[in-house]
Parts: sequence; structure tokens; C-alpha cells
Amino acid sequence: MKKYIALYLMIFLFAAPAFAEVKVVTTLPWIGSIAKEIGKDKINITTLIKPMQDPHFADAKPSMILAARKADILMYNGLDLEIGYLPRIIESSNNPNIQPGKTGNLDCSQFIMPIEKPSSVDRSMGDVHPLGNPHYHFSPKNILNVAEGMANAFSDIDAVNADFYRNNLQLFKDRLADKQKQWSSRTLKGKKYIAYHKLYEYLAQDYGFQILGYIEPKPGIPPSAGHIEEMIELIKKAKPDAVIATFVAGKKEAEALSLRTGVRSVVLPQDVGATETAKDWFSLMNEVLIGLK
Amino acid sequence: MKRQGLLLFIIFTLCLSMPSYGSDIESRLKALEETLQSQQKTIEEQQKVINELRNELSESGKEVASQPEEKPVEEAKSQKATGLFGSSVLTNPNISLILNTFAYSSNLKEEELETRNIPGYTTEGIENRNGFNLESAELFLFAPVDPYFNLYATIPVTEDGAEVEEAYFVTTFLPYGLQFKGGKFKSGFGRINSQHPHAWDFTNIPLPYRAFMGGEGIIEKGAQLTYLPPLSFYTLLGIEVLQGDNDVLFGPDAKSAPHAYTAYAKASFDIGDNSTILFGPSVMTGKTKTDSIAEDTEFSGDSTIYGLEFTYKWKPSKQQGFILQSEYLYRTQHGDLEDTVAATTESLRRSQDGLYIQGIYQIERWRLGARYDVLDLFKDDYILAGTDTDFDRKPWRATGMLEFNPTEFSRIRLQYNHDKSARDEKTNNEMLLQLIFGIGAHGAHPF
Repeated sequence: MKKYIALYLMIFLFAAPAFAEVKVVTTLPWIGSIAKEIGKDKINITTLIKPMQDPHFADAKPSMILAARKADILMYNGLDLEIGYLPRIIESSNNPNIQPGKTGNLDCSQFIMPIEKPSSVDRSMGDVHPLGNPHYHFSPKNILNVAEGMANAFSDIDAVNADFYRNNLQLFKDRLADKQKQWSSRTLKGKKYIAYHKLYEYLAQDYGFQILGYIEPKPGIPPSAGHIEEMIELIKKAKPDAVIATFVAGKKEAEALSLRTGVRSVVLPQDVGATETAKDWFSLMNEVLIGLK
Repeated sequence: MKRQGLLLFIIFTLCLSMPSYGSDIESRLKALEETLQSQQKTIEEQQKVINELRNELSESGKEVASQPEEKPVEEAKSQKATGLFGSSVLTNPNISLILNTFAYSSNLKEEELETRNIPGYTTEGIENRNGFNLESAELFLFAPVDPYFNLYATIPVTEDGAEVEEAYFVTTFLPYGLQFKGGKFKSGFGRINSQHPHAWDFTNIPLPYRAFMGGEGIIEKGAQLTYLPPLSFYTLLGIEVLQGDNDVLFGPDAKSAPHAYTAYAKASFDIGDNSTILFGPSVMTGKTKTDSIAEDTEFSGDSTIYGLEFTYKWKPSKQQGFILQSEYLYRTQHGDLEDTVAATTESLRRSQDGLYIQGIYQIERWRLGARYDVLDLFKDDYILAGTDTDFDRKPWRATGMLEFNPTEFSRIRLQYNHDKSARDEKTNNEMLLQLIFGIGAHGAHPF
């Protein structure tokens, strides 16, 4: 018995050394990728949602609860995207540091300007997010704000390395400014697309293209045969540049529409790690922008 | 029976063919989108101005550079809380209502159902009635109380009135992976016990639970402490002190003090990205005073249940999944059985067990499930005054289920039970068409 008590004491002691790397838990892969840019080797990242998983639907797996238990900081997308599992993970983690309102609880959406916030909403409209479109990770200007928010949060938690995080933020800003020059030369202005899910609205706003319609009749509701027929009509009439979907949602439908109409289908990674080449947020953006071209 | 079956089938197909969405909403949505877009433009223009201001500011001094970032947040917040009752968004708890209703059809008559008990286990019959049944309209409330506590309440409203099924607080501030829960709550014993009936994979509770603790499981006033150590795999340890009001297993009159205790451990690990295993033992022990063992009797004594749970979940994508779940329960009980008519008392010792195993396969919005439950699996001792009563005929039941879930907020379930639990020649062939609908802000379900 004494041996076990000693063992537990040791676990406690090793669990909270003040100078170890910051334990970061993120829900989505892209959040982990930005965190890596800011925290580099001073942080240790665990990502709860896998790249090929639909972030709207996940189970609060015990392994996720355990990761949250050990976290110094939990960073999530917000705007209710993770509402189906994250509140449960946070409460069951038995970790006081990551509870809402604590410095270890970082809602990344607090740094961005949500779009498509409905003035009234009910569930007859499907899975509409009342706080606005939660898929802001394709928006460089929003991501810049998120990175800054992260740098502040890391500096709060790990004050000793505050300068390190600020410096990395500056490096990130510079790199992003460079990339944006490159990206803005890829003109997507005036292009028209049909998309499966409302995933590209921020990007459309930043790059001046248009999403004409959605293969999903309402967010989160798979299309009926009738709706597919309507889509075919729309595609024939409006002649979009492509039908876009992700590997996680809508690939099959987009390819079927492409076959029926002759308009090309593009399957894009929805998050970091969904394809081999999209290994961080920059390459994810690259791949999406090239795909849309 | 046949006609009712046909009726159920017609209702079922009607339910499935119904969702054709009005174009009215579509056009309203469009109008909304347009309004939004025009608002968006205004916001963008404002953002431009902000950006220009920001540039000017950053030129004049670096300290102020972080200020403009906070602007959008302030704007968003002020948008949220406007109007006379705008602040109620922040002060109201999350509220949801879940309607749980079903149509029931059995080859047995009402009187037979009412008295259809499990001899040797419980005298409690089946409450379902042929025709339409309302399980409940269940009200759920939850919100943080303050930075230290979260509060939950479950108030099922049935035709008999409303009751407080659960009302408890959970701590969020304890260190070292500890959490304290107090009030009235579902015990963490076993797997199915802590799940709400609307989250069950079948309409009714498995036989071992019904036989040992009644149709709703253990919901008690008490206190719970859990500990989640920071190990390399998930291990949750929990202990509970409970009042012991459950009138099948314990009974409010057994002792005028908390007289039931539980302890459990749950371990879990992932196999790859898609599969998870959860397993663990549970034990529950306490004082018993109940009249539900046999007609015209009252039993006083001690009871202990040992449980083992196992769950395997495979979820490669949103569109597909499989769950295999099983629990084994073993109950020992000893004490005095008083015959309230003859006024005689004999000693009674029961050691009985039971098991259920179920599998659910999900594809797209459909779920297909099967379950087998059995009692007297390895142990069936019912020793009254030193003599083992042989009840013959193992109680068992086989269940099949087909579900359609239009969204995560609605569920249509067709279930068939082949029930041989009453130890007689009769089979209870039950057909259920269950509808579950949820509105409002409902808390996330556990794994």
C-alpha cells in the first residue's frame, strides 16, 4: 500500500514541474499548427480531432478527457463548432486550469470577426451556428489575430519565455505577409463554385469569389435525390468553375455531380494533415488556393 | 396484433416520408442572407477604417498596437446583448426539452402485462400499455453557478406530474484531478446506469438492471468523488455514498441514514484513430428493506452487486460506426424474509447473476441493433430457510432494433422484443415504435 502512495505522490510531483514545456491541447489540427508556429519547442501539442474526422461530430473519448486532464492550456475553435463534445471533455477532465474563464481556456474565435451571424435562427434551418460561421481557419487576417491571441496566452502561462513567443509571433507575421503576396496573385476574383458545406465563406470574402449553392440542402443534412437534381439544374444554368468538397464530407456527391454535368470536381483538405502535403497551416492554404484555381 | 403491427408500419413509413421542406423558408433564408451580406459590407468598410486607424496608430507608437484587435470582440459582445432582455442570453441557464413517446403492441393483455414479473427476482410488472404511451417530456437545465460549480437538473414531466429525477452540482475547481458531485444523481455504477433513457440504444433497460434495481437504475441522493490520475491511459476512480432509496435494491426504510455505497474504476484506451475500448469493475453495497422480492413479503438484509462493463466503439467516420457493449452483474443478498400474511420469518440468501450484450451498427442516418439479455447465467441460488428453490426456465430476452435519425435532435426507432423473462410458457412479443425529439440547448452526451 505504502508503495502505491509513494507512486502516486511521485506522479503528482512529475505532473506539475514549473519549468517543463507547456502542455497544449487543441481540438482541431490547424489550431495545433498555429500554436506550433508560436510555441515551437517550448510547447508540447496534443490534437484531439484527427485530420480526417468531421469536427462537427466527435465523441468525447476518454483519451481526449485524459489529454485535457494533463493540459496547461486548451485551445479550441469556438463559435459552437465543438459544442457536441468539448463541454463534456472540459468538465470531465477534473482540471481546474482549463475551465471557462481561466487563462488555460482559449476560445480562438474571440479574436476573429464572425461572418454569417444569423439575426434569427432555429433548427428547422439545419445545423446553423447561431454565433456565425465557425470555419474561419481559411482566413489569413483572422488567423493573424488568433496567432497574436495565442502568443499572449502563452506569455501569460509561461512568463519566463514571453519574449520567445513574441519573437515567434513576429516571425509568423512576416512569413504570412510574404505568403499573402504570393496568394493574392492567385486571382480567384469572380470565380463561381458549388460547395458541399459552408466551409469557404471567409475565403470567398477575402479572395472575391462566389459560392452559388450548396450540395447540402441545409448545414449538416445530407442531400436528397431531389436536391441533387436541383443542383444539376443550377450547375447547368450557372456554369460554375468547380464543385468543391472535402475528403471528410461530400467527396462522393461532388464527384457524382461532376460526372453528370461535366463541371470539374475539386476535393480539398479541410484541415491540416488531411492530405500528405498539407502538413501545416501555410501548406494547407496553398493547397486549397491551388485547388480552387 | 397484426392490425396494430400494420398501423405501426404505416405510421413509421409516414414519418419517414414526411420531410419535404417548404420553399417558403428557403426564400426567407435567402432574404436573410442578403440582409446579412449588406451588413457584412458595412462591417467590412468599418474594418477598413479601423485598419487605417490601426496603421496610423502603429506608426505613432507600438504600445497601442494590440488595442484594435479587441474591437471586434467588443462589437460582437454588444451585438449579443441588446434589447430589453438581451442580457438574459447570458444569465439564463441552458434549457432543453426531450419528448420521449412510443406506441406499444404486445400479444399479451393488460392484466398479463401488469403482473408479468420475474419470479425469484422481482414482483414488478410491465407498465407499458397497448397503444400510445408517453414516457416523459423531460426538462434539462444546466449552467455554471460561478467559477467553482456547475449545476444540472433533470425534471421529467409525466402524466403523473413532474419530479426531480436529478439535481446536482459538480465542482470545477478541485486540484489533483479530483471532482466532487452532490445532490441527487445517477450513480456512476456500471455503464448504462448513468446514461439517460433517451440516450439508450434500446427503448428499455436490460434485464439484469430491471431485475436487480428496477426499470430506471440507481438514481439517489448522495455524494460522489472521482479521481482521474494523470497516467498514460485513462483510469477514472470513483466512490459514492448514497441514501439508498431505490426500493428494489435498497429501500428508504432500511436505515434512517445513508446506507448504500459504491466504488468503481473505468479504464480506457484507443486502438488507432477509430477504435476505443472502455472497461472496468463496479461494486455497490448497502442495507435492504423491500417488498418487491415476492408477493406479501418483506425482506430486510444486506445486498451487494458486483459489475463488469465492456464497451468497444469503432467510429471511422460520421457516416459509419459500430458499438459492442456488454455488462455482467452478480448480486448477493442475505437477510430475513417475512411473510406478512402468515407472520412468519425465514432466512433468505440469494446469489444471482445476469448479463446483456448488444451490438449497434450505424450507416449514414440509420442504426441497426441487436441485444440479448439473460438472468441465472452462472448462478441462480434462491435459498429460503435453507432450501434452494429451483425456478426452472432461465429468464431471457432477444431484441432487434432499427433506427432512423433525421438529425441529432430527432430519432425514430422501431424495436421488437422476444421476451421469455417471466419463466412461464408465454412469450411476450413486443413491438415498439419510439419517437424522441429534443429542442433547446442540450448538454453534450458522455462517451
